[in-house]
Amino acid sequence: MKKLLALVSALTLSAALLAGCASAPASTPASTGSTAGAASTAAEAKPVELRVVSSFSGTDGNRKAFETAYKAWEAATGNTVKDESQTSDETWKAKVLADFETGSDPDVLFFFNGNDANTIVEGGKVVSIEDIRKEYPNYASNMNDSSIPASPVDGKQYAVPTAGYWEGMFTNTKVLEDCGLTAPDANTTWDEFLEMCETIKAKGYTPIAASLQQVPHYWFEFTILNNDGVTGHLNVPATADDAAGKAWQAGLEDIKVLYEKGYFPANTLSASDEETFQLMYDGKAAFAIDGSWKTGQIVDNVDADHLADYTCTYVPAKGDRKPTDIIGGLSMGYYITEKAWADPDKRAAAVSFVEALTTDEVIIEMAAGSAATALKVAPPKPADLNSLQEAAFNMVAGATSVTPAVQDYIKPEAKAQILETDTKLVANGSITAAQALENMIKANG
Amino acid sequence: MHNNSMIFKKKTPLLVFLVPAFAFMAVYLFYPFVMNIINSFSDIPSLGASSKGWLDPWYSNYQRLVTDPYMRTAFVNTMLMMLCTIVFQVGIALILAMLVDNIRRGSGFFRTVYFFPIVISATALGLMFNLLFWYDTGPINTILLQFGWDHLVNWKEDHWMFTMFTPVMWQYVGYYFVIIVTGLNNISPDVYEAAEIDGATGMQVVWRIKLPLLYNTLCTCLTLAITGALKVFDLPWTMMPKGIPLEKSWLTGTYMYKYSLGGANNIGYSSAIAIFIVILGVLLSQLANRIFKEKDY
Repeated sequence: MKKLLALVSALTLSAALLAGCASAPASTPASTGSTAGAASTAAEAKPVELRVVSSFSGTDGNRKAFETAYKAWEAATGNTVKDESQTSDETWKAKVLADFETGSDPDVLFFFNGNDANTIVEGGKVVSIEDIRKEYPNYASNMNDSSIPASPVDGKQYAVPTAGYWEGMFTNTKVLEDCGLTAPDANTTWDEFLEMCETIKAKGYTPIAASLQQVPHYWFEFTILNNDGVTGHLNVPATADDAAGKAWQAGLEDIKVLYEKGYFPANTLSASDEETFQLMYDGKAAFAIDGSWKTGQIVDNVDADHLADYTCTYVPAKGDRKPTDIIGGLSMGYYITEKAWADPDKRAAAVSFVEALTTDEVIIEMAAGSAATALKVAPPKPADLNSLQEAAFNMVAGATSVTPAVQDYIKPEAKAQILETDTKLVANGSITAAQALENMIKANG
Repeated sequence: MHNNSMIFKKKTPLLVFLVPAFAFMAVYLFYPFVMNIINSFSDIPSLGASSKGWLDPWYSNYQRLVTDPYMRTAFVNTMLMMLCTIVFQVGIALILAMLVDNIRRGSGFFRTVYFFPIVISATALGLMFNLLFWYDTGPINTILLQFGWDHLVNWKEDHWMFTMFTPVMWQYVGYYFVIIVTGLNNISPDVYEAAEIDGATGMQVVWRIKLPLLYNTLCTCLTLAITGALKVFDLPWTMMPKGIPLEKSWLTGTYMYKYSLGGANNIGYSSAIAIFIVILGVLLSQLANRIFKEKDY
């Protein structure tokens, strides 16, 4: 019996140790001394297989452009791509980061460039653009360096961006027409917007299609931008009473006013985003703030004959902010991992791959007319835009500034706390804006 | 006799069958469980990330657990879910089983119909009930308006508990129904015959024969219901994600998910909630086993 127990224990321990070995981080050091050798290897590189992880999955609007570009690169270089693309969500983010922790680093990664990537930057898992340019001076040379987002960890640029996003106000013009109104424009103030909402509500429509339960993110972002302006927008509150803290509180109070006046849907505290946006499709709501990706969704969901009932415009402003100051940016880009950089066979291939996937042509195709890019050349206006895409293009073209979303500059737990929990509680008066700020600051560490 | 004793003396075949299973359990259950305990005392910024070390104080996640008002909500809701499971799932299943047991033709049809929800994925059921309870012109609200109701009912806000619990109860009634029907079938026809000869009424047969002889079956159902209620996750998460409405509908399972894969990214706290769920499960199943102790007949 003792022998049996000993054998079972030994096997268990071995299995546990094996599992432990699998989760040990990769220990490949950064081989700074091998740069020259790698350069010469690059010139005579043999075909390699690159493991590429991206969010350009089957349902992504840019999947086709991504696939076409990498297949052309494969044909031109003889290299192959092991495409491990998946739809971006919290699970995917966690999986990507877990892969790095378990030593299963990809060679090239298309991923977020904000706080989400902090652990891989802190762990030295990816190579900065600055370091790559020491050996490949033309790397990302078609981009404006000032437009390439830097990592919050060390201020260095790591990810070469493709097409970014913008946020704007989608409007059901038919509802507005029935209320005797026209869509907000580049001069509409917040007070004028509130008056419009009152008129719309009096006519029996829902002024704003938004789910405070699920996606208060856009209203949160713009109401804060209305209170801290473009220059102060990226300041995260350190206390509830500093300048940023007061602006955030004022922004939350503005949402509360909209809620108390009954401008949101009656079920905004429990509805899903799709449920509230359906009010726009059904001609029951007038306004919805959303991202650039919504343009394609509206085009897909609305008959061509009725597309003219929708437009995209600026979010009304107050304070120092002009309505033409919009939220947007380049939140994702291509990273070259330290693993690929340290591999003499893969270094040149990884650089060549990223360059091929970030040419002007590929990025302009991904931008589809209106999305922000970091390109030096201004994307031309496509010829075959429908009325909604045309409105979106004109809105972005007329923007006086494009500021990133400040919610991407706080920790995920803090973001979940203020956006998924506390914004709606402030709106219905369960907690104060100051309490919400204190909760966020505590969660943000 | 000699050969039989040799079987028990030779341990090799026993090891061949037992060790792989034990090793599998060790790697995929015991090791993660021990790691989960360690993680609950650690500062882990996101799923998959390395620990930044021990928390200061090391028990701070457990401190938070007892002071977190939403954790209290989750615990109370889980207990309510358990109570409703006992009363409605097992109760309705018992009534349906008694009724079906009394019919001579078509019992197979009812068994299939009542069991059917079990084979549908909880996510699909959640989406279906989401559509049924849809606020603006969902089927239920449309019917109510047709019958003269003067306003749309906000099911997920004004009647959130009913909206969340009803589909869960509905889904598992068939499961207990099948177990109880099987228990009824095991009662000897001789007992019914004797009762008939003695002139027992239908209700007397139910109270004096069926229910007492179903005691062990009902004990099994109640133990399964109690432990099952602790694991309910998918249907509530599909219908009422993120504590809809106003953080009122958290269950221990959904609240744990919020901090692991639900966006809040606090793996240490999520691990502490997981430990709490395990302890609660062990305590309640022990309690259930003692209260609903099976009898020998």
